[in-house]
Amino acid sequence: MKRILKSIATIACAATLLASCDKIDSNEYLVFSGAAGEWFDGNGVSDHSQRAIIEKYTGVRCVNCPTADVAINDALAQYGDKLIALAIHDSSSFTRPIGDNPRLSTEDGNTWSNYFGVRAAGEYPAGLISRTLNGSAWDLFTPTSGINNRVDNILNNDAQVAVAVDATSNDNAMTINVNLEFLQTVADKLTVTLLIMEDGLVVTQRQPDGSDDENYVHNHVLRDVITDIWGADIDCTGASGEKRVALFNYTPASSEWNLANCHIVAMVSKKDSREILNVAECHID
Amino acid sequence: MSNKAIKIIAAALAVQLQVSVFNTLQAQGILGGHVTGNVQFDGQLSRRDTVIGSSDVPEKLLSNARADILYTNGNFSAGLRYEAYLSPMLGFNSQYSGQGIANYFVSYKTQTFAVTAGHFYEQFGNGMTLRAYEDRYLGLDNAIRGIDVVYRPWNGVTLKGLIGQQRYYWDTRGLVRGVDAEVSLNDIVNSWTEAKTRLTLGGSFVSKYEGDETILSDISGYKLNLPQNVGAGSLRMDLAHGGFGLQAEYARKGQDPSIMNNYIYKTGEALWISASYSQKGLSANIQAKRVDNMGFKSVRSVSGEMLYINYTPSITKQHTYAFLSMYPYATQSTGEMGLQADFMYKFKKETLLGGKYGTDIHINGSLVTGLDTTVIGGKGTDGYTSTFFGTGDTYYGDLSLEVAKKLSSKVKLTGTYGYMVFNPIVEGHEGDLHHNHILVADLTWKINRKNVLRFEAEWMGSDSKYDANVDDKRAGDWIMGLVEYNFTSAWFVSVSDQYAYKDGIGNYYNISVGYTKNATRLQLGYGKQREGIICIGGVCRQVPASNGLTFSLTTSF
Amino acid sequence: MKKSILTLAITLMASFAMAQNAKLPENVTIKTLDGKTVETSIIQNDGKPIIVSFWATWCKPCNRELNAIKEVYEEWQEETGVKLVAVSIDDARSASKVKPHVDGNGWEYEVYLDQNQDFKRAMNVVNVPHTFLINGKGEIVWQHTAYVDGSEEELFELVKKVANGEEI
Repeated sequence: MKRILKSIATIACAATLLASCDKIDSNEYLVFSGAAGEWFDGNGVSDHSQRAIIEKYTGVRCVNCPTADVAINDALAQYGDKLIALAIHDSSSFTRPIGDNPRLSTEDGNTWSNYFGVRAAGEYPAGLISRTLNGSAWDLFTPTSGINNRVDNILNNDAQVAVAVDATSNDNAMTINVNLEFLQTVADKLTVTLLIMEDGLVVTQRQPDGSDDENYVHNHVLRDVITDIWGADIDCTGASGEKRVALFNYTPASSEWNLANCHIVAMVSKKDSREILNVAECHID
Repeated sequence: MSNKAIKIIAAALAVQLQVSVFNTLQAQGILGGHVTGNVQFDGQLSRRDTVIGSSDVPEKLLSNARADILYTNGNFSAGLRYEAYLSPMLGFNSQYSGQGIANYFVSYKTQTFAVTAGHFYEQFGNGMTLRAYEDRYLGLDNAIRGIDVVYRPWNGVTLKGLIGQQRYYWDTRGLVRGVDAEVSLNDIVNSWTEAKTRLTLGGSFVSKYEGDETILSDISGYKLNLPQNVGAGSLRMDLAHGGFGLQAEYARKGQDPSIMNNYIYKTGEALWISASYSQKGLSANIQAKRVDNMGFKSVRSVSGEMLYINYTPSITKQHTYAFLSMYPYATQSTGEMGLQADFMYKFKKETLLGGKYGTDIHINGSLVTGLDTTVIGGKGTDGYTSTFFGTGDTYYGDLSLEVAKKLSSKVKLTGTYGYMVFNPIVEGHEGDLHHNHILVADLTWKINRKNVLRFEAEWMGSDSKYDANVDDKRAGDWIMGLVEYNFTSAWFVSVSDQYAYKDGIGNYYNISVGYTKNATRLQLGYGKQREGIICIGGVCRQVPASNGLTFSLTTSF
Repeated sequence: MKKSILTLAITLMASFAMAQNAKLPENVTIKTLDGKTVETSIIQNDGKPIIVSFWATWCKPCNRELNAIKEVYEEWQEETGVKLVAVSIDDARSASKVKPHVDGNGWEYEVYLDQNQDFKRAMNVVNVPHTFLINGKGEIVWQHTAYVDGSEEELFELVKKVANGEEI
């Protein structure tokens, strides 16, 4: 009997040495083979939802900004994954850090702030939902109230384009797939803007009562725009039913970001007007 | 001294040196061994024939030749094989064109240990995970070039390990690694040594490695994420108790998208069971098999018959009469279920049915179907799911009854009836099932000690009709006659003709002459060869029609 | 230099030509009908002749030959002490049918399986049937391929010579 066991053990060892049977998970059978940013016919998008994004221009020295965070959190709770929030710290004086906290401002955020007229108006917090126009001007508002009717205006319409994004990170090299499916024919030229934002940043924030909260948690903080700031052109005809896919590569600009708390946001916009048609968000796997 | 003188002295010294080296080698027993070998030459002069569909051969002469030379000396042996395909005969892949040393090895074997370096042939169990073999008539050679080790640590235990690349015409491809263990329990367990029940257990694991490559999926922009190491393992048993025998093997294979399975990621599975009972004059055997996505090749993107690592045996009977084997069946490694039963009985001499000399009857039946599958998707998906016991389309079925009877001391008659169902999908095209009835009479008349005549008559009635669109030249109703005359075992002449008398086309006549002396055989034939599939040893190959002269020489020494 | 290569080649060939008859290989692996792995050294007959016949269940001439010899095997054994060893080259497709086939035909030969065809290659067998005659010293003294009804009688003449120690 000992002999049998011994020979089985020998074989088991040999088999272990040879144990070279790759197992590929069913969601990884296919990998992208095209060049980064190149558009191909895709598989389509299973979730045809229309979503909205609320961009909040804010600053750590802005005393009314925490009130906007409360209102936005309420809206996020109400709309679930149909609403995505983004906090933009531009370069206004409100964004100067209190104490020796890191500065949350980004150059890209400042460019947007200038373009949408937030800096010129000088009123913080400022909100803009899916970059909607009110007449010929951007529909900027103070996002301590008035969020719901603006979001409803967007979500009440069927999506023209469904969008899905997913991102995987391997040794700091990130690959991001963007899938589009045209649910209606779109005549405008389109772009997709990818950005990375981070949750859970503890940075001192001035409160409505003038005090400084050292444990204030900042969420949805814009870290970087991955594509060109006004997005990458989408190579498509825009015909209803068309399905397109592209892959983007990205290396995080700072090693201090905690990727586990980061999200990627994909915004599909009209190239000329810069209005946002639809938006999607994902974790980084 | 003149230059000439120097040359002569140098040559003499060289010879002297060689002789002394040679003597030393002989004294050490290195050159005291034996050289044996075999030589084969086949040639073909083919002409165009529009009816049977043979094409022009610009070279006029096609030939395949090979010679094996084997040197053995005690535990040591070495061999090499020369092959020449100038140009390859019809039915052989044109990639064989050329000549050279196709195979070489050195081997050292003792009672407990054997190692072979170079080209070798090996089989684990029934070959479901690994079988490197060759079939020279099919132009099929899966030899592995590498190292093969066999070790028997104790009586009754055999361990094997190998690593190497597989032959691909004149090249080698892939990387195959494998281990196998077999234990004969009667030799291991002391109290079982004398037991009437004999039990042998075995297991194997084989893995192939192949680097990444770009294989595009059906979705543009995406390629397949290919497994670079693919493993297959199996367990087997062989149980014998007197006249009873039970053998089984179960094998599994990991994800292996390949051109054979249309690049799906489903794992493979195969089960084979054989049960038999026999006693003197009676035998019965039943086999069952289920194969699901078990094609295993060392290169994923190569189709055709080369580079198979494993072998999933076809269980249907290997018929040898022309019409019974007209629609041969080969395992569909993508998936099939099969059942086969065989029964043989000898009526004794001086009984009612046995008569003066006894009568043999042999009944055989088999049925092979596809699997019951549900499609999930194509390339780059799991492909399909299948139920274990569910069956799909009928692929093949046959039933045959053979009665062999010696009518007198000089005349022996064998009569066979066969019924066969064949699905053309097995050969890759849609169509109705063929149903064929076949009758064969085979009579041998031993005129005297030196002169033997053999007659064979065959008939096949089929519900299939020749259709120019499908161009299956086997369709329709056929008759065949053959007469063979043997003068001792040295000479033979045979004349035969197959003729489609209804719903078919073609007339295949053939005349052959052969001469055999000891292990040398020379054969010359003239006539038409049918286009179709020739199966030897369970593997089938498409052969084109040919029309003309063929000759063949084989010799062993 | 060409000359000396030629000399070497001739010397070598002469030495091979002078060599004794090739012997039956001893260390090739084959299997018994009940699944045990053995080596060809198991093929022994106490200094009496051995017939080694390569065959397959699907080979009609092989079956005719082995059936014909069956009728006279007892006489042959009594007269010469010869033993017939039938080596099946059936592969996995039909190997499990070999034992039933042998029993069903009532053959009383020593039967081995050569599934991997190692023995077949070592003996340079191209086609079956291929029959070898081995003398008492284990040397291959005669071989023949193909079978025609009646040729077993030619074989027996040779077996008798070998049993009497005569040259063939």
